[in-house]
Amino acid sequence: MATLYKTAKSEYQDVDDVLEEREKRSDIKQRILMVASRGVTFRQRHLMNDLEVLLPHSKKESKVEAKQDIDILNELAEIQNCNNVFYFEARKHQDLYLWIARAPSGPSVKFHVQNIHTMDELKMTGNCLRGSRPVLSFDSNFDSEPHLQLLKEIFTQTFGVPKGARKSKPFFDHVFTFSVVDGRIWFRNFQIVEKDAQTGGDMAKNAKPTLVEIGPRFVLNTIRIFEGSFGGPTLYENPRYISPNVVRAAVRSQKATKYASRVADTQDREARARANPLPSDPLKDVFE
Amino acid sequence: MSDDEQMYDEAMMEDEETALEIAALQSEDLLPPPKKEFINHKVALRALVDELSQKSLNWIQRCDVTSTEPIVVDKTENDLDRELKFYQQGLEAVIQAQLEVKKVGVPFSRPDDYFAEMVKSDAHMARIRQKLLDQQKGIQNSEEAKKQRELRKYGKKIEQEKLKEREDQKKASLDKIATIKKRLRSGDLGEVDDFEIDVASDDDGGNTKAKGARGKKGKDGKPMANKKRQLKNDKFGFGGKKRGLKKNTAESTSDMSGFSQKRNKSANFSAVHQRGKTKRPGKSKRQRTN
Repeated sequence: MATLYKTAKSEYQDVDDVLEEREKRSDIKQRILMVASRGVTFRQRHLMNDLEVLLPHSKKESKVEAKQDIDILNELAEIQNCNNVFYFEARKHQDLYLWIARAPSGPSVKFHVQNIHTMDELKMTGNCLRGSRPVLSFDSNFDSEPHLQLLKEIFTQTFGVPKGARKSKPFFDHVFTFSVVDGRIWFRNFQIVEKDAQTGGDMAKNAKPTLVEIGPRFVLNTIRIFEGSFGGPTLYENPRYISPNVVRAAVRSQKATKYASRVADTQDREARARANPLPSDPLKDVFE
Repeated sequence: MSDDEQMYDEAMMEDEETALEIAALQSEDLLPPPKKEFINHKVALRALVDELSQKSLNWIQRCDVTSTEPIVVDKTENDLDRELKFYQQGLEAVIQAQLEVKKVGVPFSRPDDYFAEMVKSDAHMARIRQKLLDQQKGIQNSEEAKKQRELRKYGKKIEQEKLKEREDQKKASLDKIATIKKRLRSGDLGEVDDFEIDVASDDDGGNTKAKGARGKKGKDGKPMANKKRQLKNDKFGFGGKKRGLKKNTAESTSDMSGFSQKRNKSANFSAVHQRGKTKRPGKSKRQRTN
């Protein structure tokens, strides 16, 4: 009996210790759920995979169909023990929207993702450790507007790998840059090279490190910021956002007007010809 | 219905039509008119930032760096300028981060003997390297080709100069010979041969050449046929297989050695000119003149 009691007690203590240690280790606990909607194209899916590889504190879920009932994502996040959700919503097999939401209480942001380049492209020659922590570099434009301040805070908490996160490595060998240009947010990922480019040896003491792009690249155009998670009252609406549907429709209508104007022109010409008939030639019958 | 009422109705209809036309015109504008009001609750947003903020955490837990200068890009489409700005922003952040990490006393970069799985696989990196190598090779090849082209151009010039020089030399020596001959004929041969030319042997050479023009002697003592005759003999008779000789072959068809674009385009070669130039007069005309 005594031994039984002892083992039970020690087990109990172990659990306590583990819990305590976990508490100590992760003062901030961020976990991201990565979900794509059905109908993502391969490039969009690869972008998601890239982000999953770069962010070791993320958890990928299988595709969901959440067109009507977007609240389901909050439940998924709860099940997966995640407090952030990246929802990649594809529309019409071509447009990608990214929801970044803090589950379950909000806020959440909806972006339109443009100019996607994934890590698979051979143009980007950098590489980094899987699970190393990134330096997050923000453009100081982020401090100019309240909504940008909020976005900066959200990015810091989601894209930053928490210290001591599972599967993470305690080194810094890449940097995520977030810049505001043209009212949109441009994301880049660079490797930090601290070696001499020519010799491959150690650098001189005061030399600056160099950066080599790893990828992916994308541009986030903010659409709306909501107070709740996937919904709730709108706090911010981007006045410069134009839906890709509207753009496409405009292009189409432009093409349509081209045809309509041509038809109108021919009708005009015919009407003109009818209104101004040629005067009859007085010498027409001279040789007959 | 009275006349007045009818008039009024017509006027109304016309008005309606014009209104419709105007509406149709307006709808042709590319984008719908922008919404007047856009929501931007700055107070609520600020409150939310304060609520979410983790500013109290150590830097090593947040790892965020804000640039000192905001990015200003004149033209977003200018890729090079834009990417350079991003690069500079990243570099500034890295240098700042190195200082911050050093403060805490945590290693920044990984040690050289620390190996772990990378984001991009070795196979992928090999492909990247291969692509870079191919690119470099392509550049080298094109440069080499450019150089060769230049050289060829230059070489042609040199060749032409050489040919001209040779011709000039030949002409000069012939002139000299002619003058010497003249002097010989007039019997006025100086004591010193200024030109150091073996006159007699040169004269001999001249004779043989003259004989050669009349016809070289073949092996059997008969005069040898000239080149044209030889070719014609080869073609039309005098030994060998005749069958199929006149037929074109793939090689003969594709052989363009006898063709010169310059000559083909020259005025006296063109068919039009020839027709005008060499027209044999009719028989009676010829008989009349002769």
